[in-house]
Amino acid sequence: MRRISPGMMVVLGLLALFVAAALAAPLLSPFDPLRQSLLLRLKPPGSLLGGRTFILGTDDLGRDLLSRVLFGARVSLLVSVVAVALSFVVGTALGMVAGWYRGAVAVVIMRLVDTMLSIPAILLAVLTVAVLGPGFLNLVVVLGLTRWPRYARVAYGQTLQVAVLPYIRAAEMAGAGSTRILWRHILPNIAGPLMVVATSEFGLMILFEAGLSFLGLGIQPPAPSWGSIMAAGRQYVERAWWLTVFPGACLFGVVLCVNVTGDWLRDRLDPRAASR
Amino acid sequence: MRLIAAAIIALLIGALPARAQPKDTLTVDLPGDVATMDPQLQWDTDSYTVYRNIFDNLLTRDVSGKIVPQVATAWRYTNDTTIVFDLRSDILFHDGSRLTPDDVVFSIARITNPALKSPQLSQFDQIASAETTGPTQVTLHTKSPYPALLAQLVKLSIVPKAYVEKVGDTAFNQAVIGSGPYRLKSWQRGVQTNLEANEGYWRGKPFFKAVTFRAVPDSATRIADLRTGRADITRGLTPDDAVAMKNEKALKLSSIATERVAYLFVNALSGPTKDKRVRQAIAMAIDRDTLISALQQGYAKPTNIVLTPANFGYVADVKGWPFDPAKARALIKEAGAEGATISFITSPAYDRRLNEAVQQMLEDVGLKMTIAVMDQPTYLRRRLGTPEDAGSLSQGRWSCACQDADGVIFPLFRSGSVWSKFTNPEYDAEVDAARATLDDARRLAHYHRAFEILREEVPGIGLFQDEAIYLMRRELAFTPTANEAFFVYDMKWE
Amino acid sequence: MIGHIASRLGQALLASFGVLTIVFFIMRLSGDPTLLLVPEGASLEQINQLRHQLGFDRPLPIQFAAYLGDLARLDFGESLVQRAPVLGIVAERIPYTVALASGALLVAIGIGIPAGIVMAVARGTWLERALAGFVLAGQSLPTFWSGILLILLFGVTLGWLPTSGADGIASLIMPSLALGAVGMSTFARMTRIAVLDELSRDYVTAARARGLSRGQAVVGHVLRNAAVPVVTIAALEIGNLLAGAVIVETVFAWPGIGQLAIQSIQSRDFLVVQTVVLFVSLVYVATNLLADLLYALIDPRIRMGA
Repeated sequence: MRRISPGMMVVLGLLALFVAAALAAPLLSPFDPLRQSLLLRLKPPGSLLGGRTFILGTDDLGRDLLSRVLFGARVSLLVSVVAVALSFVVGTALGMVAGWYRGAVAVVIMRLVDTMLSIPAILLAVLTVAVLGPGFLNLVVVLGLTRWPRYARVAYGQTLQVAVLPYIRAAEMAGAGSTRILWRHILPNIAGPLMVVATSEFGLMILFEAGLSFLGLGIQPPAPSWGSIMAAGRQYVERAWWLTVFPGACLFGVVLCVNVTGDWLRDRLDPRAASR
Repeated sequence: MRLIAAAIIALLIGALPARAQPKDTLTVDLPGDVATMDPQLQWDTDSYTVYRNIFDNLLTRDVSGKIVPQVATAWRYTNDTTIVFDLRSDILFHDGSRLTPDDVVFSIARITNPALKSPQLSQFDQIASAETTGPTQVTLHTKSPYPALLAQLVKLSIVPKAYVEKVGDTAFNQAVIGSGPYRLKSWQRGVQTNLEANEGYWRGKPFFKAVTFRAVPDSATRIADLRTGRADITRGLTPDDAVAMKNEKALKLSSIATERVAYLFVNALSGPTKDKRVRQAIAMAIDRDTLISALQQGYAKPTNIVLTPANFGYVADVKGWPFDPAKARALIKEAGAEGATISFITSPAYDRRLNEAVQQMLEDVGLKMTIAVMDQPTYLRRRLGTPEDAGSLSQGRWSCACQDADGVIFPLFRSGSVWSKFTNPEYDAEVDAARATLDDARRLAHYHRAFEILREEVPGIGLFQDEAIYLMRRELAFTPTANEAFFVYDMKWE
Repeated sequence: MIGHIASRLGQALLASFGVLTIVFFIMRLSGDPTLLLVPEGASLEQINQLRHQLGFDRPLPIQFAAYLGDLARLDFGESLVQRAPVLGIVAERIPYTVALASGALLVAIGIGIPAGIVMAVARGTWLERALAGFVLAGQSLPTFWSGILLILLFGVTLGWLPTSGADGIASLIMPSLALGAVGMSTFARMTRIAVLDELSRDYVTAARARGLSRGQAVVGHVLRNAAVPVVTIAALEIGNLLAGAVIVETVFAWPGIGQLAIQSIQSRDFLVVQTVVLFVSLVYVATNLLADLLYALIDPRIRMGA
């Protein structure tokens, strides 16, 4: 094992901090994230009102923004993790199978991928939410359903490339079964690009939920997510900048850390990269 | 492919018309595009705003809301179901042909003909027939005495018979011809509509030589358009938007209390709210004054009933429920409904903040409330469906565009109506009686009793009279009206 | 080769048919537009009468068969809401959509790929980290927020660009930036990885041993081989660039088919949604077919598979 660089330590530490903050939201939050005070709307960060300090200010219903951002971290991270995991597993499995067996199997899987991919994700999501109804579980299912084909497409292309390499042929000749080859030889070789897709998707999933919140169909109120806080706060970009800047900064921080971690993981997982 | 490429090139090098507006063109930012130019088809607010500038109506309303002549100069009832209109003879359509009684009869026959599939049919289907009874006279027959007739005829645009018959309905919708102050010059779907002045308009030459209506869905973008001079006037802003614009030097705000009433629907036929005490407790849990001062920023007037003073049938002396959380809590305890779940259904079309504020107010008196946001068609399907599916509570903003109680509380609460989740024979008798007589004093007495029943039974809670907010350039003179009319003819630079 | 293309085309049409079927049924499961069309006071009889006139009381399979019948005669029908031929309504939006998609792709590729190459070559330096942060910012800001910030900066404060609408190339700049920024990071990272992979391969070492400089090696060999994943991503983005630009088009009042599609979904204007989806699906399938053919050209190691 190579040593973890100091820069990477910082990134991993930050990521751990975000996760810890999300998990410990009930302990860290100074106030109830749902408690409104209509007379204390849109107060700036650091306001001291009625003996209470609102470190990040209040939102358009007079709720404490810090508490909402902390609880929002839970919702945003959970939606994203579950959706990415769901689409990663389904998409990668199907893509590898198609790339390895080719022929009729590939035709069926890849045409299904084409079908799913050629419906713009946001339209499919809006339609599906209309049928299934709103809610956390439905949201995650919708995201998983609309995103798996991206993994499948990349896994397929990469598997095609890797399958012709001499050492795979050698393994095949040595009598290794398909499952074993896929799992032991192909997956590690294609994990790099897939990891990049997954880490980009992680941020995109948070944004996707934000987009649905903008259209009014995301996480159900009054529960906060970073996206829904920002969607509600964009009306006040100039008057109450804190409503979009703080959750926006968290979003950026998490996405940055996840992506950097993704690249780092890729370098470690990639056997070719390891030899460098 | 080559066509598309040509279109793109045309789009990219196309001149930049909207940059430097000549002062004789008015540019209006609307939240949406015109759905149909044909005034007898769609009647959503954006379409309505545009095509009403192209057509004349049989009757109209003045700034105070009174019904006054337009194409018709005078009218009289010959019996309870027959009304005679005298018409002007000096109105010309944009193609130069004269507007005759035949055009009026044709317009009525066309909109009431089911084959047109007009969504507006239900507003005019009390009209049994219309006929030309003189060179400048039309007679209308209604199926029964129908007090709301005149209010509905304010919305009847007169279309040219000869032209519509010649080109057909589809072509008419693309290139309408009316008799109003502006004529249609061009219509780029999804982008903008350009109108030009009808110089020979019978009420006099319009002030603005041209009008452009642009479709800009995002209110923040509409505000940016106003601040940069890209548009001269816009509507569809929230009270918070308005407050933020108060210090803009080049712009001014104008607002008016409309006939639109903000209310809470309470399901009296299903769920925890089936118990009258729970409905009354909800009415006492709502802090209306705080909603108006904090969320509406004062852009609203409180109302005790589900109707506004801008409507006929408004009765000021029916008491509202006082804001009394302690009493509400006690009543909920008495009904055994502590911790009961109130399901609140809504769509993105309704103010999110009001929903959440109501949620907290109900939780403060011992109820639980869940909010389910769905898209508008799904919401309507549930709200108008069976009582079991309609949720316990929802927010509404009702305007019948007729300024009459009949268009509000009849559909909302009369048993058998799709909106109503309430059954009360006494109430039904009052609103039925008010609909069957032309005598204003008797109608008012019926509505008074009807509102007292609604007060006791609480199938709905009146919150406030909504205000329409317009943001415009400081030099623009425009007086908004309670029915949210938008006649460019009545605007000018100061 | 020609047989292969023909069979791919056949499969492509099948995929488009699948899309149409899925959308047709999902949309009808979510209700019909009758309730949105009637005035607020309409009675149940009036609502049912309109529903009958519009044909939504017929069983779904019959509606579907009727629709396919019309489609086979290239009749796309009339919009319920706009009462005009659907084909015209959709066709009018296509130039705007193509313009925005091209602008966004130009931003994403024009910034993303050079950034990716620099990040690979300058691996482990401060330059790589700074570039990574820059391209990621575009991806981690919701467009409904970055869009309004762009409008406030370039439109209101500086007054350089029009705040909304579609008047010439000036009004295309901000929407292209907002939309392109989202894809930029994906291109940059894909390019970076592909270039890193190729740089480590034997032929690069061999090329350098032959005396080629690192720059020559990158330009001559690496980019060509790194192009496969980049083309894959570009082809994948097409569908979303075409009709997925819903939020950007809404914020900038850009009249593309994304805005048309979402408004038509919200008003349950079935035929418009179906035509938009069919169009996007055909373009998507064509683009991806093209990408597959490009793979073979770029990288002869890939045999013509499925």
